[in-house]
Amino acid sequence: MASLERSKKKVQLWKKATVHFLLCFVMGFFTGFAPTSKASIFSSRVTMSLSSNYSPQPVKVFHQSRTQNFNRSLFDKTVSKAEHSHNSDKDQRVPEEDKRGSEELNLRGVLLRRLANTLKLVARPLLWIVVEQLSEDSEVSEILRKTGIMYRHVVFKENFTDVDSEMDHQRNIAVNHIEHHRLSGIVHFAGLSNVYDLHFFEEIRAVEAFGTWPIAKLFANKKKVTIEGPVCDFSEVVGWHLKKTNNVTDTRTTALPISSFAFNSSILWDPERWGRPSSVQDTSQNSLRFVRKEVLEEEAKVKGIPTQGCSKVLLWDLHIS
Amino acid sequence: MKQLTALQQQARRSNSFRSAASPLDAAVDGSVKSPATIFWLVLHGLCCLISLVLGFRFSRLVFFLLFATSSSPSTTTTTTIYTALRATLPSSTAAAPPPERNVSAAGDGSRVVVGRHGILIRPWPHPDPAEVMTAHRIIERVQFEQRSQYGLKSPRTVIAVTPTYVRTFQTLHLTGVMHTLINVPYDLIWIVVEAGGTTNETASLISNSGLKTIHIGFDRKMAVYWEDRHKLESKMRLHALRVVRERKLDGIVMFADDSNMHTLELFDEIQKVKWIGAVSVGILAQLGGSEENGELSIINKIDDSQKDEKSSKLPIQGPACNSSNHLVGLHTFDTRPFVDRSARYIGDRAVVLPRKLEWAVFVLNSRLFWEDMTDKPGWVKEFDDVDRDGDDVESPLSFLNDDSVVEPLGDCGRKVMVWWLRVEARADSKFPARWIIDPPLDITVPAKRTPWPDAPPELPSSVEKSITVQENTEKHSTNRGSRKKRSSKSNKKHSSTTAKVLVDDEHVSTRDSRTF
Amino acid sequence: MRDWRWVFIVLLYLAISLTTESFEFRRTQRTERISGSAGDVLEDNPIGRLKVFIYELPSKYNKKILQKDPRCLTHMFAAEIYMHRFLLSSPVRTLNPEEADWFYTPVYTTCDLTPNGLPLPFKSPRMMRSAVQLISSNWPYWNRTEGADHFFIVPHDFGPCFHYQEEKAIERGILPLLERATLVQTFGQKNHVCLKDGSITIPPYAPPQKMQSHLIPPTTPRSIFVYFRGLFYDVGNDPEGGYYARGARASMWENFKDNPLFDISTEHPTTYYEDMQRAVFCLCPLGWAPWSPRLVEAVIYGCIPVIIADDIVLPFADAIPWEDIGVFVAEKDVPNLDTILTSIHVDEILRKQRVLANPSMKQAMLFPQPAQPRDAFHQILNGLARKLPHGKSVYLQSGDKFLNWTAGPVGDLKPW
Repeated sequence: MASLERSKKKVQLWKKATVHFLLCFVMGFFTGFAPTSKASIFSSRVTMSLSSNYSPQPVKVFHQSRTQNFNRSLFDKTVSKAEHSHNSDKDQRVPEEDKRGSEELNLRGVLLRRLANTLKLVARPLLWIVVEQLSEDSEVSEILRKTGIMYRHVVFKENFTDVDSEMDHQRNIAVNHIEHHRLSGIVHFAGLSNVYDLHFFEEIRAVEAFGTWPIAKLFANKKKVTIEGPVCDFSEVVGWHLKKTNNVTDTRTTALPISSFAFNSSILWDPERWGRPSSVQDTSQNSLRFVRKEVLEEEAKVKGIPTQGCSKVLLWDLHIS
Repeated sequence: MKQLTALQQQARRSNSFRSAASPLDAAVDGSVKSPATIFWLVLHGLCCLISLVLGFRFSRLVFFLLFATSSSPSTTTTTTIYTALRATLPSSTAAAPPPERNVSAAGDGSRVVVGRHGILIRPWPHPDPAEVMTAHRIIERVQFEQRSQYGLKSPRTVIAVTPTYVRTFQTLHLTGVMHTLINVPYDLIWIVVEAGGTTNETASLISNSGLKTIHIGFDRKMAVYWEDRHKLESKMRLHALRVVRERKLDGIVMFADDSNMHTLELFDEIQKVKWIGAVSVGILAQLGGSEENGELSIINKIDDSQKDEKSSKLPIQGPACNSSNHLVGLHTFDTRPFVDRSARYIGDRAVVLPRKLEWAVFVLNSRLFWEDMTDKPGWVKEFDDVDRDGDDVESPLSFLNDDSVVEPLGDCGRKVMVWWLRVEARADSKFPARWIIDPPLDITVPAKRTPWPDAPPELPSSVEKSITVQENTEKHSTNRGSRKKRSSKSNKKHSSTTAKVLVDDEHVSTRDSRTF
Repeated sequence: MRDWRWVFIVLLYLAISLTTESFEFRRTQRTERISGSAGDVLEDNPIGRLKVFIYELPSKYNKKILQKDPRCLTHMFAAEIYMHRFLLSSPVRTLNPEEADWFYTPVYTTCDLTPNGLPLPFKSPRMMRSAVQLISSNWPYWNRTEGADHFFIVPHDFGPCFHYQEEKAIERGILPLLERATLVQTFGQKNHVCLKDGSITIPPYAPPQKMQSHLIPPTTPRSIFVYFRGLFYDVGNDPEGGYYARGARASMWENFKDNPLFDISTEHPTTYYEDMQRAVFCLCPLGWAPWSPRLVEAVIYGCIPVIIADDIVLPFADAIPWEDIGVFVAEKDVPNLDTILTSIHVDEILRKQRVLANPSMKQAMLFPQPAQPRDAFHQILNGLARKLPHGKSVYLQSGDKFLNWTAGPVGDLKPW
């Protein structure tokens, strides 16, 4: 009896044991399906920071946070693009052809370094697009390389005899680059002879569509200090203080100094967003002209800088020769 | 997450296991102290463990097989598990290939898909601004690391001396130098000496820099004639050196005039100086003139050692070396050809010429000026002796008994890293105080959206708008009146600044541009 | 009894963690073996560890071809020529075939260029066949092993498949005559028909002098976050899109052309090499083949290569710690490149840069003239030396025949 019960108990015991083993086996089986990487079980952070281990889940999180941030913060931290044309000092009359070469070369390098020193101090993000005619001389590349600024050096092959049309061509190339790449940010044309107050770059980040400000033109050894630009009531532009030219019809588009305005680059590649038909956009041959026209026509969207009535000069155009 | 639930499941399972085990426990309970039962229990536990491990291994095997063959599993339930697992698996990278790769490699042959692949375009078009900022921080850190790895190990402080005074071009020139100095990656003390005493204008400019500045006044007004001005500037620099001496500032003294331009490499280069060094300064004098530009021939004062054709066209002051890189002298600027045509006073329509040797050429160890320096070299004169006859001090060479001790810097002067340029507006030129435009400018080109008397006025939608319109109209018709109104309005706004009426004798009649 | 339960649960957890741990352990062990031994392996000196016999072939197999088109000396497959030159004067060369460990057949199969300078390997199979026929009839060594102790340099895109289109190449497969030989090839795609087991993967040829001449000081601040110059779409060969680079390059352009951090363009500037030296990351996506010369350029110029090519077999992967110097991004993750790259910890980036700065990495990527210690030539020899001694299966028993001389497309059987 006792032995019978004992054996019965023994069988029961074995049954129980087998059940346990089976249970453990199944458990092990299922744990085996779990991902093996240590990171995923114990610390889910590690792989993310390594990033070569890239799991699809976090992306979605990023994606969501992106859509939340996108609307506003992109404009809060707009990329300011400074375009610079290497020979903006060229419009000064220098009589002798051969001399002009060497002198300008030197001055160009000096002024480029000065501008780079200023741009280096501008809060990031900043992208500097430098346009230059293709040449054997690597001076500009060498100077730029040492600055540590995030820049793009764009070259073109065309030859020009007329300085003004070359300058326009350069700016158009820069604008086309922005358009082609659909880079978003605030675009400003920085001339080599410009001198900036650093607050200027803080101010133009506030631009939504267009921004404009007064610019002071100074000439060496002359008494004259010329200020050109918008006349504002607070940040609203109520008129322009510009040099009058004989050609009355075109005054509005040409007289506005190139360095005295900034615009949101999306006007170039996303015209619908600004309430214009996309057909206006096929101005790729002369995007610059298009932008200039826009600044003057869409005055309601133009913001005066600085906001207190455009009354402080933050940018000087210094002609030294 | 998946793992967590798995763990919870295990916990639950072990719970159920426990409850299932309770009869067993009860059975064992009777003979609890017996070592045999303990042994059995341990054995039981061990077997459980082994089966667990076995199960795990087996599941792996199944797992691999599933992936390797990619054939549809026999039961639908497994399929769902398979797909669910696939989603949780970290995406495959070559850096950490999931283990199933190895098996499949050993298994069937090529997994390479030849043919058309989709071009993946993400639904959000633009970069995340936060990521853009992160990238910029990474770049900054990388650049910092490059400097600390390849740059100087224990750089010395740079002491920059700048004589200045309030004038039209001051903001521009001083800002330029300031921007350069902020970029210097070493400790820097900026001594700004202002002629005619310190002013708020200068102080507010340099306070923006965030640099360690010493702003001191000099009790004489800046001269109008260039000759006197050069002399005064020398005295101002001496004044700054007195501060270096008194406060025992330790570092390298350089002379950064407020219209000079510098490369950042200069600041690396001057770290090499032991006592007194000289760098080449490019003279951009011929650019300073206005009309006579073309007539000026470029003086070539450079030896044959100056190989670089480009820079040889530019007049240069600085060390002159022979072919074996030994200092043979200093290039000076020969002013004689220009004497008749050089500018004599500020605003003179002619070239402003440098002195024979500009201070900007020299960099000095500040310890040369210390009072009680024991290991001071013998060739240096006593500071007080030099200071006494301040009028005759033309350059730091006046401190030396022997010019040959000058150390040539910048590849023995071949590299030009400083440019000297003097351009000024005329001394009597007017500019708005602190460059604040007050009263506002005249409107020469009307705003397009603003109705004017000659155009039929658009009816404004809001009352507020109509006020603006009226103001504008009034402004246009009676300019004087509007300006008064405007200025009174802005006076209220900037009550502290006084409105200046600035009249230019040359351009009174022109309305095209407002001149100061 | 409660205690027992607890003990049991603890044991259970331990078991689970141990099993996962063991997997983990196995993996880390693998990577560590690579990174740990990398330096040493790169430092290996192959001299004295192997002997190579070079077959004397008529010059129509090599020198004459080169004379016809000297451009072969500069294109990215030029390794086949330089390796020949290197071996001729190398101390590992032996003139006594009896003591040789390896036999080398100097045949320049890739040196048949189109007017644009792209190699068209149409004649290569016939040429290779002719060369093998020649050595097998003039010397006894080929027949001894049917090529198992011979090595060939086949650097073209799909190497021993000898076709420039992947589909055709796969269809053709490895040239039957080379089935037993060891191949030295640039093409590295895991589990691909055209990558033979045991092949030595080498970097493409990049002109060393030219690369040297563009070096700029290491102090030049790196100011580009991501750099790439090259094609995004190959409209000529892939008008539909989606075949070229398996869509990865097109995806790069479409997703990141508007990102200021991504300096990507099709225009090749004169400052290309300098720009790589001021970039933090250089994209190295696949093209028609998984590798690209950018890989070499990035390593030489200290720019962290971002390798976008699934299942790529990297050059000298047994010697160079690619995981330590590069970033691997799966082709399907290209749309998240910006997130991936910005989420790498900056210390990790600096660590990769430090490893990249190691001169032996750079050395192993180049074929300099004259050869230098630890360069790519020496790494190839190291690879060959590591395969020694030959196993028993290499030598055929009498009567064994593996090679089918009549296999393959009929066109290949025509005399060259």
